[in-house]
Amino acid sequence: MSPFILATLLFALGLGTMITFASSHWLLAWMGLEINTLAILPLMAQHHHPRAIEATTKYFIAQATAAAMLLFASATNAWLTGQWDIQLMTHPLPVTLITLALALKMGLAPMHSWLPEVIQGVDFTTGLVLSTWQKLAPFVLLLQLQPTNSTLLLALGTASTLVGGWGGLNQTQLRKILAYSSIAHLGWMTIVLQFSPSLALLTLIVYFTMTFSAFLMFKLNNSTNLNSLAISWTKAPVATALAPLVLLSLGGLPPLTGFMSKWLILQELTKQDLMPLATLLALSALLSLYFYLRLAYSLTLTVSPNTLIGTTPWRHPTSHLTLLLSTSTVATVFLLPITPAIVTLFSLLGT
Amino acid sequence: MTPVHFTFSSAFMLGLTGLTFHRTHLLSALLCLEGMMLSLFVALSLWALQLSSISFSASPLLLLAFSACEASAGLALLVATARTHGSDRMQSLNLLQC
Repeated sequence: MSPFILATLLFALGLGTMITFASSHWLLAWMGLEINTLAILPLMAQHHHPRAIEATTKYFIAQATAAAMLLFASATNAWLTGQWDIQLMTHPLPVTLITLALALKMGLAPMHSWLPEVIQGVDFTTGLVLSTWQKLAPFVLLLQLQPTNSTLLLALGTASTLVGGWGGLNQTQLRKILAYSSIAHLGWMTIVLQFSPSLALLTLIVYFTMTFSAFLMFKLNNSTNLNSLAISWTKAPVATALAPLVLLSLGGLPPLTGFMSKWLILQELTKQDLMPLATLLALSALLSLYFYLRLAYSLTLTVSPNTLIGTTPWRHPTSHLTLLLSTSTVATVFLLPITPAIVTLFSLLGT
Repeated sequence: MTPVHFTFSSAFMLGLTGLTFHRTHLLSALLCLEGMMLSLFVALSLWALQLSSISFSASPLLLLAFSACEASAGLALLVATARTHGSDRMQSLNLLQC
C-alpha cells in the first residue's frame, strides 16, 4: 500500500473517532463512526487473501448494521422527544436500542460472535487496532449515555465475562484467544460503567496497555497458534521470560497491573450491594485465567524437539522495533503499586 | 406514534429482519442495508420538513452521501469476496469459523 494512502487512511481513522468524541449531536456521532469504519476497511483488506477479505466482509456487515441501528434509534428519539442531544436522553426505548447497537459495535456478549472471526482473519497490527482504538468511540458514546437502563448493562456485562471465559477455553489460535479476552474485559467495563464511569475508563486504559503488550509480544515471536509458542524462546529469550507475566496480568493476578482494575471493580460492586454479581464475576475471571495459564505453560514450560541450529535464532540481530513493546510491558507488569495515583488521575478526568 | 413514525419504523424493521434472517446471498444483505438507510433518509427528511428547520435540511443529504459510500464499500467487498471465494453465497464465508 502506498504510504500516502496509508497516511490518509490512518488520518481518517483518527478523525472519525475524534469527531465522535467531540459531538453532542447524534447525527455527527454517527458520521464519525461511519468515517471510522470506512477508513479501517482498506487497512483490513490490504493483503488480498481469502481470510482477510472474509474478515473484512464480516466486520463491514456488523458495523454497518450497528451504525444503521444507532441512527434509527436517534431518529426515533427525535420523533418521540424532539431532540438530538446525546446527553439527557429521556425516553427508554431509544436508549435501549442505542445501548444494543453500541454493544454490537464493540462486540459485547450476545452480539459478540463476529469479533473472534474478524480478529482471526487479520494480522496482529490490524487486530491490535481493532481491539483497542475501534472500541474507543462506541465506549465513549456509551459513557455519555449514563445513567441509563441498569439491568440491561449488567446483563450484557455478565454475559460478556462468562462468554469471554467459556469461548476462549477451547481455542488454540492466539488471535481468537485474544479476541475472547477482549470480550471478557469489555464485560467488566460494562458492568462498572453505570456505577463509576471514571473506573470504567481506567479499566479501558489498563486493558489497552495489557493487550498492546500481548499483541506486540506475539507479533515479535511471529506465532499465531499455541504450538508455535513453544519455540518462541529460541527467538527472543528475555521477551519469552516476561510473556507469562503479561498474560497473567491480563488474567488479573495480584502483583501485576491487571489486578488493579478487577480489584477496584469488585470493591465498587461490593459498595453497591451486589455481592452475588461480584462473586460471579470473580469466578468468571477464573475461566479466563485458565487459558492465559495454558498460554504461559506452552510459552515457558514446554520444550519442543529441535535441532541444535534451530535453537539459536536469537543470536541474529532482528529488525523488530521493540521500544514500544518494552515500555508497555513495564507498564503491564509494574503499575499496581501506584494504583492510588492512577485512581486519583482518572477521577479528576471523570469530573 | 404518528403514521410517519410507524411507516419508517416498520420499513427499517423489515430491512433489519431481512438482513438478520435471510442469509443466503451477500448481495441481499447489502440490499437490506440499503433499504434500512433509505428508510432513515425518509425519517430525517420528513423530520426536517415537518419542523421546517433550515439548519437541519442538509442532514438527509449527508446521510445519503454516507450511505452511498457505505454501499460502494459493500459492493467492493462483494467483488473481492467473489474473487477470493468464487461466489457471493454466505455459506462459502466459512474459513474463519471456530
